[in-house]
Amino acid sequence: MTWHPLRRIVAWLDEPQPVLRLEIVRIFAPLAVLGFMSGRLVHADEWLGDAGFRVPDLGGDIRQPLYIPALPAGAAWAVVTVMVVSGLLCSMGVRARASAVVFAATLAFVGLSDRLAAFTVSKISPVIMLAVALGPAGSMLGVDAWLRRRRGEPLPPAVQSLGSVRFLQLMLVTFYCASGLAKAGGDWLVVPRVLWTHVHDSYQTPISFFLASTLPAWSWTPMQASVLAFEALAPLWFGLRWTRPYALLFGLGMHLMIGVMFGPVVWFALLMMTLLLGCFLPESWLARIARITAS
Amino acid sequence: MTPGGNKRRLLRGSLRTVAALYLVGLWLDAVGCSTPSRLLPHALDYFMEVAALFPEAASGAIDYRAEGWVCADARWQELDTRPYFPLDPDDKENRFQRALNFYRDDPAVERALDAYLVERHNAGRADDGVPRGIPIGGLRFVRVKIPIPPAGSRLERFTRRPLADLPANEKEILYRTSKTRIAERCGPRDPATVEPE
Repeated sequence: MTWHPLRRIVAWLDEPQPVLRLEIVRIFAPLAVLGFMSGRLVHADEWLGDAGFRVPDLGGDIRQPLYIPALPAGAAWAVVTVMVVSGLLCSMGVRARASAVVFAATLAFVGLSDRLAAFTVSKISPVIMLAVALGPAGSMLGVDAWLRRRRGEPLPPAVQSLGSVRFLQLMLVTFYCASGLAKAGGDWLVVPRVLWTHVHDSYQTPISFFLASTLPAWSWTPMQASVLAFEALAPLWFGLRWTRPYALLFGLGMHLMIGVMFGPVVWFALLMMTLLLGCFLPESWLARIARITAS
Repeated sequence: MTPGGNKRRLLRGSLRTVAALYLVGLWLDAVGCSTPSRLLPHALDYFMEVAALFPEAASGAIDYRAEGWVCADARWQELDTRPYFPLDPDDKENRFQRALNFYRDDPAVERALDAYLVERHNAGRADDGVPRGIPIGGLRFVRVKIPIPPAGSRLERFTRRPLADLPANEKEILYRTSKTRIAERCGPRDPATVEPE
């Protein structure tokens, strides 16, 4: 009786899932991550190498997770070349699992090497790519799957137990819930216009300026409340079958607005939208996409 | 159960444990619990510090700037740091902005930034607002904080205005090179011309 809830959790983890969920993440997540990295990649020698500014070794300061000395310029360019190639190969489905491991390793390295240019995308992307590598990535779509089909080899089942997908679903919901609670513990329950205060700095886009200039002052408070309710109660919205499609829609809309209102945050928004779609697209939609891709 | 099956079960169990610990760490870190940061190496905990996004209201539009001490004129002049920090030059994801955001109270990082910018300017590799060939001997780092307008008021698009155009109450000096160091760099000129510390 004591173990019953645990057995239910294990059964839920083992429940078969469409492989297409993982394939959506495998195809689009590396592209969003490479988009985020693109501004850094073109300055690899400044970013990771000895041509740019480096924070000195702070000897275990908590703000410096690990001191990694500057690389010689050639090595910096080699790292970013491996990153781009492995990310693209993973997205194309060429040796997808191995590519995902290499991509994750380069992402973890650059995230630690330069904290100044590291953001949420830098920190979650190695974990996402490891999850991709641990599942049957590239088995259904992509170059390798196409070659296997041409050789007449059987494809693995389209629906199977997928720990990777379960992990990504839990990660997304945990992320939102934690983010919502952090906001609730911060100013979001006491300052009625937190969102308003964040649209005036260098993240400002023409769209955020337009909205800030035209929306009535009161409208920022309900927007703030709905974001907070969505995030803090994400386990509920995504846990209940009947609220899940609405949660997916709200999440996509929220990230769309984040993407267009906060300039460089667009890549984070695209990565989160990829995860949302891969993790929570209704199965009927996935079946339709599977039929289209199969034909 | 075959030995291969046992191994698979063990591997799956281990992966699930690691995944669960990661998710718990991510959640705890965002809600302000310091246990993960106390138990884990910084390099691992760092990958869990991801979810506490924008928990507080912005108190102003923050921008970090630099001024160079022009040896020949014995005065401070704004130095555009963007040529020397080319990643995301025009927003707060720029590495100079981030360096001062994270380490503005860390003299070691501020001195490293000072040395880097003085060397870069004096090497004459880019146009930075202080003419090439005119050496600088020190740096001042300034935190600009533009107040948030009241909701519903008439707005101005965010632009990077020169430091000289900003009112004094929107600028805070975070760091300045010591007089001795400026005197060393500028040469025999009387260091008393440097404004007081």
